[in-house]
Amino acid sequence: MKYWQETLAVAQRILIELGRRQRSLLFWCVFPVLILLLNGIILAERENLGYARAFEQAAPTTLVGAALFFSCLGGSVATVVAEREQQTLKRLFISPLSGISYFLGIFVAHSAIGVGQTLLVWTVAAFVGGEFQGSWLLGGIIIFLSILAYVGVGFILGTQLARRTEDVNALVAAFGVPLLILGGTFIPAAFLPDTLLKLARYNPIYHMNEALLEVAADGAELADISSHFWFLIGFAVAMVAGGWLSYCRMLHIERRL
Amino acid sequence: MLHIEGLRKAYGQRVVLDNLNLSIRPSEIYGLLGPNGAGKTTTINILCNLLNADSGDILIKGQPVSEVTKLWIGVAPQENLIYRSLTCEENLNFFAQIYGLSKRERRQRVEMCLAAVGLADRAKSPAEVLSGGMQRRLSMAIALIHQPKLVILDEPTTGLDIEARYEIWELIRTLQQQGMTILLTTHFLEEAERLCQRIGILKNGRIVAEGSLSELRRYIPASEILMIQTSDEAGAIQRAKALGFPMRRYGNELAFWLPKHLELRDIIAEFDGIPLDSIARQPARLEHIYMEITQGHNLMQRSC
Repeated sequence: MKYWQETLAVAQRILIELGRRQRSLLFWCVFPVLILLLNGIILAERENLGYARAFEQAAPTTLVGAALFFSCLGGSVATVVAEREQQTLKRLFISPLSGISYFLGIFVAHSAIGVGQTLLVWTVAAFVGGEFQGSWLLGGIIIFLSILAYVGVGFILGTQLARRTEDVNALVAAFGVPLLILGGTFIPAAFLPDTLLKLARYNPIYHMNEALLEVAADGAELADISSHFWFLIGFAVAMVAGGWLSYCRMLHIERRL
Repeated sequence: MLHIEGLRKAYGQRVVLDNLNLSIRPSEIYGLLGPNGAGKTTTINILCNLLNADSGDILIKGQPVSEVTKLWIGVAPQENLIYRSLTCEENLNFFAQIYGLSKRERRQRVEMCLAAVGLADRAKSPAEVLSGGMQRRLSMAIALIHQPKLVILDEPTTGLDIEARYEIWELIRTLQQQGMTILLTTHFLEEAERLCQRIGILKNGRIVAEGSLSELRRYIPASEILMIQTSDEAGAIQRAKALGFPMRRYGNELAFWLPKHLELRDIIAEFDGIPLDSIARQPARLEHIYMEITQGHNLMQRSC
């Protein structure tokens, strides 16, 4: 009960703060829609696909590769850094808030944002005739694992590497953009040369993209995507563990008034 | 309410707290004074279970410091640690949730705390639009939201204008009347003088003087303190020495301790022949006591 109440409190607070920054909220909606439109049009024209099929293929990578990456990973880093900058972390250290609740609160808040972006992306895709071909449950699990992994990475970066708001952009650019390209977010992975494709197999974003793409666009089942799926599970677990250790280290170093 | 015995903390070779002993009675306002680096913030960190002491005992309501005692302590740190884009009500509600208050309790406590700090009419205002004084009051309201037994106010009026300072003082008195025990750290000696029943002066990690203001006055065995401005300081000092008036310097001001009450005309007569630009008498105040305790040696050295 204690953990649940604390988690809910942290999540609510993050969402209220996001709601106050209406301009940011609007941009978080515009971003995936624009990426989806661009990816969809590129695929339709270059691959001679119909718009419905092109948007079916563009929606998964737009969501897990681009939208969730920036909102959940970038958002988690920004949440921790903002707490540090306005020094509210100190206030939380004084309080009985547990580290688990703090992590879960950030996860729940970003899951809510992720669900909103999921609905937005598939609504736009559906508008041009795209359909979700596979299992909604399996798709949901992949999205859930992706959010978990992103929040875990965000926690690691936010607690260990980003000291100021300006660091968030630099970190996301340095770590994120190359991984996004290598993961097939902006250019389909099939377009990558063999050497990069071999490298991409170590890139978690590649596995997120491929797993959701095969389920959503081709109706694949768990057995068809097992290698991507298990990689994703392993990565998500590792990132949550890493996030937890990073939080403990931050407590050890920064827990002072 | 709070009992500290033999507390010791060192960072490597640097000893920050050295056998610190301190007791605060229930419903008392205790002022902890000391220069920067004396160990005040380290003490607060240990009380809040953010730091572990190397040795010594701390009992809060008879219990050693732990995650449980966190629930009995409310802290208003030096800075206003608030969520700036949340309203006053939302800030309080968030922390009430963190402290495990039920929905009904939260509604009541948020209302009560806002009223207590005089922000009831600003409940829906985002914290970022509040003045500095109001933000400080909101920070204090957050410290009170879970009905703590011991409230720690770390320099509560630093950076506030005089009007806001009076408001905070009034609030602190009200909290005491409600039965709260308050540990106050401050650099404003007037604040400690006005609010605290007992004062402890911390120097190099230990309490070097403690007591009520009247008890602390024993450190200055003088009836009054005479402040003099003169173009002939050497002459004035020589005369005071002959009269048996101990001499001190408070900042740039030349001062003498008067062993007994003297009328102004008698004082002027005693310094006959010395050109006096101004002369003022005042009772020994906390600032004089504090200076004597923390820098007494220097004050006397400068008199030689």
